[in-house]
Amino acid sequence: MTLTGFLVAAAFLPLFPFSMLFNRLFARVGNAWLRMALLLLWPQLGVLALVTPGEKPDAWLVWWAVATSGLYALRTVALRDLRLWTGYMATSAWSLLWPAAAFAPLAASADALALQAAGLSAPFVLLTWISGRLDAELGAAYAGVCGGLAVTVPRLSGLLTLAILAAVATPLVPGFFILLETTLHALPAMPGAALLILTVWLMWAWSGARILRGFIVGPARGAPGRDLGNAVVALLGLTFVVLMLAGIGISGDLS
Amino acid sequence: MEGFIVLVILLPLAAALLTWTSASRLQGASVRISIIGSIATFGVTTLLLGLALTGKSATQVHLGASWGILLFDPLSALMAFVVSGISLLVHVYSIRYMAEERGYARFFALLDLMTAALLLMVSAGDLITLLIAWHLIGVLLYFLLGHDTASQAAHRYASWTLLTYRFGDLPLLLAAGLLYQAFGTWSSHEVFAQLTSAPDARTLFGLPLAETVAGLVALAAFARSAQFLLHAWLPYSMSGPTPVSALMHAGIVNAGGFLINRFAPLFVTANDVLHGIFAVGLITAVIGSVLMLAQNDIKKALGYSTMGQMGFMIMECGVGAFSLAVYHLIAHGLFKGTLFLGAGGMIGEARQDDGVPKDDLYTFVIERRPARRRQPWLVMAAITLVVPVTILILAHWVVANDFFQKQGAVVLLFFGWVTGAQLIFSTYRMRTENIWRLMGMILFSFTIVVIGYTLISHAFDVFLYPDPVFRSRIYTAAGINVFWFDALVILMTLVVVFGWLVTYYAEQNGQRWSDGLGALWRSFYRIVAREFFVASIYERLSAVLLAVATRLNVLLRWA
Repeated sequence: MTLTGFLVAAAFLPLFPFSMLFNRLFARVGNAWLRMALLLLWPQLGVLALVTPGEKPDAWLVWWAVATSGLYALRTVALRDLRLWTGYMATSAWSLLWPAAAFAPLAASADALALQAAGLSAPFVLLTWISGRLDAELGAAYAGVCGGLAVTVPRLSGLLTLAILAAVATPLVPGFFILLETTLHALPAMPGAALLILTVWLMWAWSGARILRGFIVGPARGAPGRDLGNAVVALLGLTFVVLMLAGIGISGDLS
Repeated sequence: MEGFIVLVILLPLAAALLTWTSASRLQGASVRISIIGSIATFGVTTLLLGLALTGKSATQVHLGASWGILLFDPLSALMAFVVSGISLLVHVYSIRYMAEERGYARFFALLDLMTAALLLMVSAGDLITLLIAWHLIGVLLYFLLGHDTASQAAHRYASWTLLTYRFGDLPLLLAAGLLYQAFGTWSSHEVFAQLTSAPDARTLFGLPLAETVAGLVALAAFARSAQFLLHAWLPYSMSGPTPVSALMHAGIVNAGGFLINRFAPLFVTANDVLHGIFAVGLITAVIGSVLMLAQNDIKKALGYSTMGQMGFMIMECGVGAFSLAVYHLIAHGLFKGTLFLGAGGMIGEARQDDGVPKDDLYTFVIERRPARRRQPWLVMAAITLVVPVTILILAHWVVANDFFQKQGAVVLLFFGWVTGAQLIFSTYRMRTENIWRLMGMILFSFTIVVIGYTLISHAFDVFLYPDPVFRSRIYTAAGINVFWFDALVILMTLVVVFGWLVTYYAEQNGQRWSDGLGALWRSFYRIVAREFFVASIYERLSAVLLAVATRLNVLLRWA
């Protein structure tokens, strides 16, 4: 891998400190639709940069990526801003595509990696849509400030719950099977890295529970916003069904 | 037949979906769908148990290429029957109990999803399906415990549960990964077959595969069944709705016992791990019981009571009495579920009569009833020591006259004797007008319990593990060197008898402790009252991690 190729891959499949570029940009973009596009495209560019040389990442790069993932997973625990949380979680998740690339069969890696990147990004796209909606309705998407959403906007809080569950790789979304496969592949080659990936997964659960509590639990605060309409709920419900089916589809590679 | 196995999972899933989607249209009436779904699920599981009891051979249904296998065997049929039965009771109880709560339909939908996840767990025929079910149970329990979205405390303690359960998911995942790396299949049946043919296989770092995987599975079981150091969530999870507490204590927390039974062919080849399981179970049983006695909050006391029971269940697995652990988890589920569901009625009754026994002086002077007498201590001591052991030996002899060959049976016999003796010993301290009548009733109940327990556990043994060679292998795997075993039993007997003598001496002399011992006792009580600081240590650890995360965010300027 050339230095330029490595730098591009390190920026788009974020390795710390190159990961700060994405997070700085993600925090600055005000338009939710632009942020959603960013979440979908950013890791695809990284995957392209990673697979173009046709080589697998070395062990030291895998360690670097897993450490980056751990760093951002730990940092999400202290966050209350949903936009920042989404950016950090995406960084933590995308970093794990390095070990995924290192341990997957070479022939299958390009397409599979692009699919995995899309599968990991999908929940964050939904979260970004929700944070945009919260910004518009309540003026902020900040846990603790917009507490008690389960009472004021039950449908939106239900959707937020599902999106956070998908973001922290709960069965049967693609993230669950991607993490499962990556851990299983890493286990015989780099058991220490596999253990670190599992710790990251545990940290995500803690972080997800904390941010969810800040939004949906407690008495209603402030003026109630508009809840989602039937059509939007049906569309987003369908999206989650598709996401789970995609997860089951991805699970076919567990061999 | 295959259709029934799939139906068991699909029925509660469909009920959950329909209950949730029809909630806005039907309002509270939508929960009827959930109830109908529960009744239908229970009906199908009863049918499956009937088929298993009539000797229907084990079957697998493959829903996917490499995973998605559903298994019908005696263990899955029995557990599915128990889970669906308890779930049905909790559903029916919740109709009125939860009627005034916000999110009525959501609660029933979550109950249905939990039932589906539990049924998926007990009928999982491959490691991936088991992992998925194991993971989902933790997530669903989090939402059930935190059903009251206005309660910060409920969600806080639900998070503790979620984290402990997620921690327990990880060793199971590692175990599945190691088994897959070794044998190249996810099917439990094939994994166990290959493990039996190659019990000495090695894994990472040259470690023995069977022992390593068994240790990881045991760790997953410990987290699920609230074993010591992984128990802090259990007594604090009472902020959830009462029906959830009933379901959790009756059908979720005991999943550790089920998991060890499911992996029985693995544990047979990993005897050292069984000894570790015994030790962890024993420590948990003792500490759980001690903590239960020190609580002044009835709900926390119930939580620690469950911890003690779970310790005993795990300990039974450790001595090779796998099927007895299944019986124990079912029996505990029924009585603990009854306690929780009857808690409201008990509180109502307690408002009429506090049930505290009256003082002897009060009954003699005010009620003008004769003072109660004690029987001679020596007679009572002889009865205390001899009667329980006689009943236990006779009951075991009826079932299997070679039970003295099995160390596990002897260990359980020992515990039965200690428990029975303690029960009769406490009778001596009770003051009653007719001590022999009370003693007779206690002995009768004890005999019924022992004979019932022995016969039923034997029936479970034959039903769950029909192969006598395999049954014998389980007990053999749990055995230790005969000399050390005998020495331990004698030592424990002496310790217990010494404890009784000390208690008797203290009672006779009217002073419980000397000053030095008293101070020691008070220090111990303070530690117990603070629950051995386990929860405090975890809270401190999480506070430190949060502070580190915040500091990092500030240092890196939030990017």
